[in-house]
Amino acid sequence: MSAVTSPARQASSGLSARTINRIVIYGLLALFAIFYLMPLFVMLVTSFKTMDEIQNGNMLALPHAPTFAPWIKAWSEVCSGLTCVGMKGYFWNSIKMVVPAVLISTLLGALNGYVLTKWRFRGHTLVFAMMLFACFIPFQSVLLPMATILGSLGRFGATLQNATGFNFGLGNSTVNLVFVHVVYGLGFTTLFFRNYYEAFPTELIKAAQVDGASFFQIFRRIMLPNSLPIIVVTVIYQFTNIWNDFLFASAYAGSGDVMPMTVALNNVVNTSTGVVEYNVNMAAAMIAALPTLIVYVVAGRYFVRGLMAGAVKG
Amino acid sequence: MAFLEIDGLKKRFGSVEILKGINVELEKGGFLVLVGPSGCGKSTLLNTIAGLEQITEGEIRVDGRAINDLHPSKRDIAMVFQSYALYPNMTVAGNIAFGMEMRGVPAAERRAAIDKVAKILQIGHLLNRKPSQLSGGQRQRVAMGRALVRDPKLFLFDEPLSNLDAKLRVDMRIEIKRLHATTGTTIVYVTHDQIEAMTLATKIAVMRDGEVQQFGTPAEIYNNPTNIFVADFMGSPAMNLIPAKIDGNGSGLSVVLDRESRQPIVLPMPGAPAGLAAFKDKQVIFGVRPEALTDPEGAERNGSAIATADCHIEVVEPAGSDTFAVTNLGGKGVVARLRADARIQPGTSTPLAFNLSKAVFFDPATEKRIL
Repeated sequence: MSAVTSPARQASSGLSARTINRIVIYGLLALFAIFYLMPLFVMLVTSFKTMDEIQNGNMLALPHAPTFAPWIKAWSEVCSGLTCVGMKGYFWNSIKMVVPAVLISTLLGALNGYVLTKWRFRGHTLVFAMMLFACFIPFQSVLLPMATILGSLGRFGATLQNATGFNFGLGNSTVNLVFVHVVYGLGFTTLFFRNYYEAFPTELIKAAQVDGASFFQIFRRIMLPNSLPIIVVTVIYQFTNIWNDFLFASAYAGSGDVMPMTVALNNVVNTSTGVVEYNVNMAAAMIAALPTLIVYVVAGRYFVRGLMAGAVKG
Repeated sequence: MAFLEIDGLKKRFGSVEILKGINVELEKGGFLVLVGPSGCGKSTLLNTIAGLEQITEGEIRVDGRAINDLHPSKRDIAMVFQSYALYPNMTVAGNIAFGMEMRGVPAAERRAAIDKVAKILQIGHLLNRKPSQLSGGQRQRVAMGRALVRDPKLFLFDEPLSNLDAKLRVDMRIEIKRLHATTGTTIVYVTHDQIEAMTLATKIAVMRDGEVQQFGTPAEIYNNPTNIFVADFMGSPAMNLIPAKIDGNGSGLSVVLDRESRQPIVLPMPGAPAGLAAFKDKQVIFGVRPEALTDPEGAERNGSAIATADCHIEVVEPAGSDTFAVTNLGGKGVVARLRADARIQPGTSTPLAFNLSKAVFFDPATEKRIL
């Protein structure tokens, strides 16, 4: 067939080759999709099963009698260490940490990007390069120095408490975590915004200057409203990173009722007393993963759009 | 005292001098065009007037008041940018009113001002649209509306027409001219297009390498260029600059134009400029605009000094309104502008009339005009 083939047969063999290609590509894609979705599937079905069914049944089987009991127990009763009040408190701890940390680091990143591209000063490239360094520092290496700084802040807070009767949140574990995440998120958020604003037309800033807008008025009225794609990218990135962070959370808020979700989940799963309640553990893990899933589903399409927007002009 | 005075303005970036001592002035209600090739400093000069760039030396005065140390918003200027620089997140009305909003003008007054400007520019139906929903010409109008609404002392235009297509550019050019005539505003306008400069300006400053080469009315610039650069830059097709020799034969001077393998053309110059005598038997650059080199019937009947010579025509370009003929004099292609219906064939010899009263001479060494 290879040596003497008529043009017609070549065409038909070409067509079938294309079909085979398609089958191979889609087959592989489906295989990988199943591979990656399998843990999620197992978690979901297990979280709706009773313990009897888990111990006697197939891991992949759908629940015979779906029950919300594990979810309710995970939310309001499960024991993390010795306290048995469920995940709800820790969930709110995480929310209280994540929301301010994301907002502050995104806003500061935008401000940095604005200054580094539109109000350039001598040495701006050096400053940017040093900020980028934050992206490459392994977080383990800053655990101890940061603990020292947080300790000092805490003592300062205690002094303020004595002097003024108010400690301005210094020494509070949640505030500490917000501070740490803002500091280590700044490198990334600055990088995102600087690259986005690099392509932002400078004539708009000049026009606003002629119109009499001040530095912050230009930022608030011109820059921010035109930055939606990169804001979405930054918020998703920061939200998932900070929500999923375990290292800082366990180091600086690793015990008591100030623990964020990730640390509490670890304590729930690692409890060594009695029977391991897989269904409750799975439900707790699902609760822990839910906010990031929701953020991806809601803003995911902006995520791809935002990543493209920086790459291709227009 | 002029309305806008730029006095010994210098601008340096480090050791590089971008503007090397600019002196320009403009009367109230005038239209100054800064024209020159890319990188000549014309946009930088405009930005210094706007206050978007700081100056190193000199002074800029508007209406007798030095403004060079004021913030852009305090200079009482309005600027139209090349890219229009419309705020994409605001509607047309929001764009026009943004400056007033920043200055704290009450909403009712803003509304009235927007309506007035929208009426002048006929953009009333666009006020609630976003800039992305407008065509190029409409964006241009909105950008002008944003400038007009301020009612400033000085309007600055930075190549406002260069992003439009050719036909729209001509329309908007007329529009700007009409606007200037009806509102009587003072305008500084930057362009690299010499036709825009000629048609719009009351005063032109031709710039090169951070220096003003010539400053004057369009007619002065066109008819009496001070050097070869200005002569060559202004006018389309460009002025013919032909290497020539000055010959003296007792009674008067004449211009000798060499031709390859032919008799040189000798043009008697009875009304030659006084300085030309010093160049007797020397090389000069003989400058003649295409419209001063034409068919004998089309030549100015009352021209004081018409000389006719047979020229070998190499190329004929009928352009509809005119016919351009290219001949070779002094080793260079020379363009003559003939009537549209001139009967002329490439490859033949045809008499061409030189209008010597419109001719200019340059010193090839200094490139300056010989007066």
